Amino acid sequence: MKIGDTEIFPTKIICLGRNYVEHAKEMNSQIPKEPVFFCKTINCLIKNGDPIIYPRILFENEELNQVDHEVELALIIKKKCKNIKAVDFGEYILGYTIFLDITARKLQLKDRGINLPWYRSKNFDTFGPIGPKIVEDIEYPHDLKIELKLNGEVKQSSNTKLMIFKIQEIIEYLSKYITLEPGDIVATGTPSGVGPIHSGDLIEATIDKIGTLRNKVILEEE
Amino acid sequence: MIKIGDKTINPTKIICVGTNYMDHIEETKLPVPKEPVLFPKTLNCLIGDADPIIYPKLLFNNRRLKRVDYEVELAFIIKDRCKDVPKDETYKHIMGYSVFNDVTARKMQTKDILSQLPWFRSKSLDTFGPIGPRIASIDEIQDPHNLKIELKVNGEVKQSSNTKHLLFKIPDLMEYITSLFTMEPGDIVATGTPSGIGPVLPGDLIEATIEKIGTLTNKVVLEGD
Repeated sequence: MKIGDTEIFPTKIICLGRNYVEHAKEMNSQIPKEPVFFCKTINCLIKNGDPIIYPRILFENEELNQVDHEVELALIIKKKCKNIKAVDFGEYILGYTIFLDITARKLQLKDRGINLPWYRSKNFDTFGPIGPKIVEDIEYPHDLKIELKLNGEVKQSSNTKLMIFKIQEIIEYLSKYITLEPGDIVATGTPSGVGPIHSGDLIEATIDKIGTLRNKVILEEE
Repeated sequence: MIKIGDKTINPTKIICVGTNYMDHIEETKLPVPKEPVLFPKTLNCLIGDADPIIYPKLLFNNRRLKRVDYEVELAFIIKDRCKDVPKDETYKHIMGYSVFNDVTARKMQTKDILSQLPWFRSKSLDTFGPIGPRIASIDEIQDPHNLKIELKVNGEVKQSSNTKHLLFKIPDLMEYITSLFTMEPGDIVATGTPSGIGPVLPGDLIEATIEKIGTLTNKVVLEGD
């Protein structure tokens, strides 16, 4: 997959849940004591300018018809790593980019409510736009303005300094569980202001020093 | 990229089906699902026949998390890129079958489920997805829903069932999964485990057998320092 002019070969996408206090509150979720993580599969990935496809199986079912935007700072792993210490995290990061964790919200809440896995709601094709480029030289990733506009209107606006678990803690924690491979994507959680998108909408996700990721939403063809 | 017997596959994802044998559903006291329950495992899980399953220290040294279970499953491997496959075209898109062990950190899973957290970390620790010993081609197995499936720990039979007890059959799974996601060549679908799941400890030898495919053998070892 090419992001800007960098080509990566991710084997997995790990996403943090509930990593901004205000977002945990808006979801009526508890503030976690340790990072909450889940995975998205590679079929989600699309690039800057590619359409997000709104699945008909959600659109045509009133109980499932809600798809939300979630803007996140993502980092790309540089080399294979396991059991990394927080202080060494910089060695293992290739760079930073913007990730949209598109989520079938009603489906997620339905599954969560009956103790089912958070999987299908997060992993429809095209539910993981990433880009517009990978920026390598961000010295301090915890003071970046992060914003999402829907059709020009600001919906999410925060700063990466408000992340509950910082990147070095996330890498230390994750790599205790799983080996991370070069190209793997770690999305660090979304701030508050998540909300629904519809066919025809334009999403613009912006993070300081990285740029703007733009994707239009279209309804799946019959 | 992983070599299974004499075939090399390049999976992009592993999709597992939960609660798909009636005997296992009764054992776990979970409700009978109306549609397949899916969860992912990441590729860092995959190991081959005879590779060790590493028992992580972060589980072993924590009384509240110290339980790792075996789960033998029939897996099918996707042959070509596909989306929206109707049931009657299922087998055109399957390359073959293998034995999969969906190794699970059970206490961690239960804890996460009760807190409505994702089923992820308990399922996707390194080496928690042995597969093998080979891929039986689609032509070798005329009826994948009549295969004896068995798992032994240290020679003792722990799981013993037949794939005819699958609640959602392979065509049901293929149609459902591809209504949601695009599948890629090499992708692995594990179809769920029968009853008899239970814990393993370092030193244990697990032998998972499915008729017409073979026996997948893995030893459990404690993570080194």
